[in-house]
Amino acid sequence: MSVHIDSIADISRVLAQLRRTRTVASEGEIGSGARVATLNFIVFVDDPEHRPWVLERAQRIADKHPSRLIVLDGTSSGSGVDVSTSARQTAGATVINERVDVAVENLDHASIRSLTQELTAPDVPTVLWWSGARLLQSRTFKGLAELASGVLVDSSGKARDEETIRELGEFVARFPNVALSDLAFMRLLPWQDMIAQFFDDPALRESLFSLTSLRIESGSEAEALYLGAWLGSRLSWEVADRDTFRTRDGRLIPFEKIQKGDQRRVLSVALTSTDSRYLAALSECDPGVACLSVTGARAKPTWCMPLQSIDNTSLIERAILQGGADRIFETSLLTVRDLLG
Amino acid sequence: MAAEAGTIARPLTTSSVAAANPLRAGLASSRISDPCNVVFFGASGDLVKRMLIPAMYNLRLGDVLPTNFGIIGFARSANSNDEFRAQMKEAVDTYSRSGEARDPLWTDFANRISYVSGDFDDREAFTRLRAALEENDQKLGTQGNRLFYLSTPPSVFGKIVAQLAVVGLGPKDQATGWSRIVIEKPFGTDLESARALQSEVGKVFEEKRIYRIDHYLGKEPVQDIMALRFANVIFEPIWNRRYVDCIQITAAETVGVEGRGGYYDSAGALRDMIQNHVINLLALVAMEPPISPNADHIRDEKFKVLSALRPISVDHVPKMTARGQYGPGLIEGKPVPGYREESSVAPDSTTETYASVKFFIDNWRWADVPFYLRSGKRLARKTSEIAVMFRGIPHRIFGESGDQIETNTLVMKIQPEEGVSLRFNAKVPGPKMHIRAVTMDFNYGTGFGVVSAPAYERLISDAMRGDATLFTRWDAVEAAWEAVTPIMQRWSESRVVDFPNYLAGSQGPQSADALLIADGREWRRI
Repeated sequence: MSVHIDSIADISRVLAQLRRTRTVASEGEIGSGARVATLNFIVFVDDPEHRPWVLERAQRIADKHPSRLIVLDGTSSGSGVDVSTSARQTAGATVINERVDVAVENLDHASIRSLTQELTAPDVPTVLWWSGARLLQSRTFKGLAELASGVLVDSSGKARDEETIRELGEFVARFPNVALSDLAFMRLLPWQDMIAQFFDDPALRESLFSLTSLRIESGSEAEALYLGAWLGSRLSWEVADRDTFRTRDGRLIPFEKIQKGDQRRVLSVALTSTDSRYLAALSECDPGVACLSVTGARAKPTWCMPLQSIDNTSLIERAILQGGADRIFETSLLTVRDLLG
Repeated sequence: MAAEAGTIARPLTTSSVAAANPLRAGLASSRISDPCNVVFFGASGDLVKRMLIPAMYNLRLGDVLPTNFGIIGFARSANSNDEFRAQMKEAVDTYSRSGEARDPLWTDFANRISYVSGDFDDREAFTRLRAALEENDQKLGTQGNRLFYLSTPPSVFGKIVAQLAVVGLGPKDQATGWSRIVIEKPFGTDLESARALQSEVGKVFEEKRIYRIDHYLGKEPVQDIMALRFANVIFEPIWNRRYVDCIQITAAETVGVEGRGGYYDSAGALRDMIQNHVINLLALVAMEPPISPNADHIRDEKFKVLSALRPISVDHVPKMTARGQYGPGLIEGKPVPGYREESSVAPDSTTETYASVKFFIDNWRWADVPFYLRSGKRLARKTSEIAVMFRGIPHRIFGESGDQIETNTLVMKIQPEEGVSLRFNAKVPGPKMHIRAVTMDFNYGTGFGVVSAPAYERLISDAMRGDATLFTRWDAVEAAWEAVTPIMQRWSESRVVDFPNYLAGSQGPQSADALLIADGREWRRI
């Protein structure tokens, strides 16, 4: 059920409409209308081109997790407020999702913050998915971040990778109580695991300390930067310059970033040591699988690993569910800032 | 025998090794880190094809299996490695929840599967099994760790275990690595046979290495019983005789014997369901808080509560139990035959397809609170649940005349719905003080948006990890057999004259209703 309201001036009308649509949706339920609200999910979008992509994923998440989805539409696509409620049957229970779409293109940051605060359901976590062009340079972002227990961004896939990552570092410092997640970093978990796997073998572990180069192929730069920074920070490497790490004993490690393939996807990671080459690369037959091999003096035959949940919806879901700060991410973020200079 | 040389040798991964890898710090992984071989005895059987191999494949897809693993099938049928792999691929294609097997992952998985053909008392075959395991240790890096999974009838458990010892595959012969054994239910057919079986298995495997599987315990909502009780403060204070009137545990099925008539006719509902699944649920709902999540601490508490089950004397069995057998009827509007018309069932069978039992637990928490347990086939609806039914209010002040003030009920729903519901009373909006009961529901699928993994996946991975929490320890098995033995004895001695005594698709026999009516209570509707 969906209702359009021309103005956001009267928030109480919007909330009353939510209650009405919820009651209609739950008609026929025995006893109380079943509703388990797990979160307020605020989505801000200001890029018309990106809008359908963001909204589709937001709706998928909202469908799965009974929530109040508040879409703050900064594009010129919407007007006024659309209030909708959808009900679906799952395993014998009725789940009701609430969605409020607010056209905010012509609203100032204070109004956006104020109306969003009133629209959020009390007593449940609030997650902000910010797909806006700027972070801390946007007063709207700062206002909404103050309402959230978690903030989700994606620094990958646009020309603004670098600037966004710089701002993320600043955000961590300024909002220590808000759990920050960057989809670009989260996408790398299976790759981090694969790199670690090479060196689980004690016989190969010493190679970790005689690495001579690092080469990452990815569709956008954020992934390569994060993955290189993660590896460097784990091994206590320092940043020599944008394309080079320095080990603790002073050796220089060239860091090559090749832009190739689809945005937001890593294609391969190659590590070279003094006597071997370690390669993890996407399978050509199945993009959900990566194949790993070691060549050279410590050669190992190829083996395959599944890439777990790296689709965007799964990542957003994981970010929502995990809560809490990720210290490894934060350390990597600082290293990326150093790489970017 | 083992995987082809040069295809899948892997870096070694163990917990301690991984911990020493600086790249592992803070890296979340659900992967089991101990490399190991899993040997499925009875590998040509239905359970392996329908459940176990699809579960292994899904664990692989979910990246839960260790990086170094091998699978060996052992059965009588003559198969080559390739033939067995082809059969397992068909099994995955047909039964896996993730759909058909996909390359390149399937090829990688299949290369780790091998097969040994032989009888369960054929020493040569077990010698070949040992060679296959040693070959896997070399080629796959499985480090001598072995999980033996007995997906066979209980009658051959003893033979398999004895042969493992003879060829040096028992834990005592192991220089490196670990050996564990997983045993499918039923563990014995009565107390005596269970003790005999335990004696045979125990000669080779110590208790800590024996994993008695009850797939019910791997279900997410069963695990949530403990979370609900011990991760919340609001339930435990009222979880006792002062507030609880009775507890009803139901495991109802709509299916009949589904081609298992031969087995079922010698077992019946009491042995097949009450003695294991349902009594295990009773233990979880009634036990005292364990001091830690450690497997033995939890199993100590389960054993303590089962030890406190008041023995039902043979003479009291008629007052404390009811049994039934379904006749023809309708399930979902379609006619179904009666039990005695099922294939492989004797036309004059007196096997019960429905059993209900009233137990008491003689301890401070539960003194005089009845636990009503029931399980049956061909009932009105498939449902498994535990209903904690609270006492009535001590003094009524609300409600118009004619309003019925229901007692509160907390229901832990296990299947097909998975979740928790609480029934309580509320005022009906309006000028009068009408009171009506309403239900507050929590549902796993909708609450978390996460689909629970099938029980076998959880249980196999737990056994590989060495986490025995969800497996039944011998003392609990023995206590459960002790609890039902007088019932079995009385039922076998007294002639049944009224079978079939309930219609397929009904709520069960009237005698089961009478069991509660005599106490001034009634069953929740199935």
